[in-house]
Amino acid sequence: MRKSWLPVGLLWLGYTILLVALTAKVNVLPVEWAEEAHIVDEAFLLLMYLGSPVMALVLAVMTWGAIAWRSDGATREDGPNQHNHRALVTTWLVLTSALAIYVVINPGFVGLAEIRGEPSSDYVIEMEASQFFWEVTYPNGATALDELVVPAEKRVRYDVNSTDVLHSFWIPAFRVKIDAVPGLTTQVYTTATHEGTIDDDINLRVQCAELCGAGHAAMAMPVRVVSDAEWHEYIDSLDGGE
Amino acid sequence: MKYVVRAVVLGLVGYVFGVVITLAIRGGSPTDEVAVVIGFVFGLIGWLAGIGGIEAFGRQWIGKTPQVSTDHGWRRYFQFSVDHKVIGIQYGVTLLAVLLIGGFSAMIMRIELASPGMSIVDLEEFNKLVSMHGILMVAVAVAGVIGAFGNYIIPIQIGAADMAFPRLNALSYWLVPPVAIGLLTAPLLGSFSAGWTAYAPLSVTGDSGQILFNMAIITFGLSSILGGLNIIVTVVTMRAPGMTWGRLPIFTWSGFATAILSFSVTQFFAGALILVTMDRVAGTDFFGPDVGGGLLYEHIFWFYSHPAVYIMVLPGFGVILELVTTFARKPLFAYKAVVGSMLAIVGLSVVVWAHHMFTSGMADFLHGPFMILTEAISIPTGVIFLGIIGTLWQGKLWFRTPLVIAFGWLFNFLIGGITGIFLADVATDIHLHDTYFVVAHFHYTIVGGAIFALLAAFFYWYPKITGRMYNDTAGKIFAIWVTVAFNFTFIPLFWVGINGMNRRIGDYPDAYANANMFASISALVLGASFLLFVGNIVWSAIKGPKAGANPWNARTLEWQIASPPTHHNFLSQPVVVGHPYDYGNGDSPHAIFPNSQGASEPEESPEEVLV
Repeated sequence: MRKSWLPVGLLWLGYTILLVALTAKVNVLPVEWAEEAHIVDEAFLLLMYLGSPVMALVLAVMTWGAIAWRSDGATREDGPNQHNHRALVTTWLVLTSALAIYVVINPGFVGLAEIRGEPSSDYVIEMEASQFFWEVTYPNGATALDELVVPAEKRVRYDVNSTDVLHSFWIPAFRVKIDAVPGLTTQVYTTATHEGTIDDDINLRVQCAELCGAGHAAMAMPVRVVSDAEWHEYIDSLDGGE
Repeated sequence: MKYVVRAVVLGLVGYVFGVVITLAIRGGSPTDEVAVVIGFVFGLIGWLAGIGGIEAFGRQWIGKTPQVSTDHGWRRYFQFSVDHKVIGIQYGVTLLAVLLIGGFSAMIMRIELASPGMSIVDLEEFNKLVSMHGILMVAVAVAGVIGAFGNYIIPIQIGAADMAFPRLNALSYWLVPPVAIGLLTAPLLGSFSAGWTAYAPLSVTGDSGQILFNMAIITFGLSSILGGLNIIVTVVTMRAPGMTWGRLPIFTWSGFATAILSFSVTQFFAGALILVTMDRVAGTDFFGPDVGGGLLYEHIFWFYSHPAVYIMVLPGFGVILELVTTFARKPLFAYKAVVGSMLAIVGLSVVVWAHHMFTSGMADFLHGPFMILTEAISIPTGVIFLGIIGTLWQGKLWFRTPLVIAFGWLFNFLIGGITGIFLADVATDIHLHDTYFVVAHFHYTIVGGAIFALLAAFFYWYPKITGRMYNDTAGKIFAIWVTVAFNFTFIPLFWVGINGMNRRIGDYPDAYANANMFASISALVLGASFLLFVGNIVWSAIKGPKAGANPWNARTLEWQIASPPTHHNFLSQPVVVGHPYDYGNGDSPHAIFPNSQGASEPEESPEEVLV
């Protein structure tokens, strides 16, 4: 009764190639506007590739089963009396454990280390969340409520806080997110890669990502990435700056 | 119906009594939260007394013999019946109703989300819909398979006449209607809008309906804990002679594993909600803005609510494994490894909770350990998949409705499992957390894993429970319809999540309009499939052909007795002599009935006095 190994194996191979090709050819990821976004996207794609053969294996068994193992139950015919296959179970355990360990290391710990990076920054911007708006405080003390302007190619630390309930600071184009917790300052680092506005990409926005009340859906603010010089010009033009 | 009427009356009397004494002591308005809390507690006591607690427990407290209902017709479903089969049906019908209400709320949400901007509800009403949908469906997923089929099937599968604590079992069920009433009447007090997760401090500051949410869920937790205790004791002590742990049917194993979890961790959600309630009514400040208590709430909440997803899907594993062996006509592949994996999942599930908190601002050094432990769960889950595909391998697959749904389950849970890795990985989770990617993922695991298993269980045990067979063609059409529509609904939601649409929002940027329209149309098609499901099971219960004792030619004990089973399940004590899934081994039986005199066995005894 070895005859199913070959067709299932071929189906497995076929599905794997199909899924890998789809992952490679069809881009489901949004545009990257920050170095952190690239780290996240690489991890995402690696997991897509690693998941492909797993997905393909089960699909192959299901497909071949639906084609070749059909039987009319009225015949009351039983399948083979096989309770176990020790070598197969052991192999399965070893392979799935190895895969899990690999995923923990890469993209797990590798991605974690990369996305956290060095705890150093060129500038610190404070983001204070309230129902239902963000208040930006730039390094010179100037504040703004209408947009977040970020210098390109500079590492920025965001000190995130909340005045009332939980919120979450998320810039989809940068792929970073950290909750705003009342009574706690949380931090996240990003390095924007190139200039752009929300008109270029809807994901250049600060979006609240933790349910915070009636205005949660609308708690968003445009992000504008400009050159370092323009950024200094901008923050100096704001009220409240030194 | 007189007991239900009495329960409603005494429940209302209790509620009013609680409110009145609160007002007498401290004054204020009857809609004050503290009055509602006290009213709810007394109302619950009145409800339980009215439904049959007076006879089942109260009489004993004054030295008399307790009594339980002796009705045999449809009336017993509206009484404090201690028959595990009646209780299973009560759970099944109640939770099916809740599933349909929760599904209806999902339809309203998808209609609202079909296009950007607000059309039929406003943003705050949308948050209330999200919260209501979430908590109703969580309740169905937590209690659906284990409440309905765990109660009905587990005692029979182990060869017992009932659960270990029949009155406690009835109590567990009759705690559930007040939960539904509490949740569904919450809009009278402004409803609740902090999501089913009820994160503090938002749940401390929101509308007063939150207090009914808290009381209802604490009550539901009590029901889960008592139900879990009952199943643990039943499986440990009530097994028939010869029913060793190595011969325990896999559905019973899954129910046992689930019961260990619901008995041990439900307290944490209840505890978190008690603290929220105290913050609201007693002036405490556990989660106030000044102390950073939001993180504390998340830790306590997820300490229950991550294991809760295994409370939802472990019975699903059991159902699928059980029916795969039946319809593949093969022994359950790697039985011991599968059982070991279920117990490993129970253990691991309580040490992974903080993977819900990778963006919460918790200390950075916690990310690594929780990532390792979370990925580790994929190993036992993989073994359960091996058990399923190993059993299917070169089997004699009989594609009746339950097996077709099991294939849908396998596909959905596979996607749910693989997308879970993206959320266990810190780097990708930092982007995907709280987006529609998470929404799609947990619908693939919970709808795909638990609700599909509930549907499969319905179609698998329906002939046993009703004694009648449903229309298999209509069942298969439903199975394919629901699987395709489900996938068309949720695949686009992965994409919108990756591309920057966050969850729990009634309005969104135009960029996500097309995918949302597609998902909404698919969701309505998905919802419509349930008309066929309900139509089939209701029509067949009345008009379906007689199913006979063992329509699937299965080996476990529930198929060796009449459909529907007689009152005490077995006419004579079964003795287990072999493995439950020894298909393909000639006539080797799972159990024999050594004292059976066949048809001359007396019918069930009519009297029912409880000891």
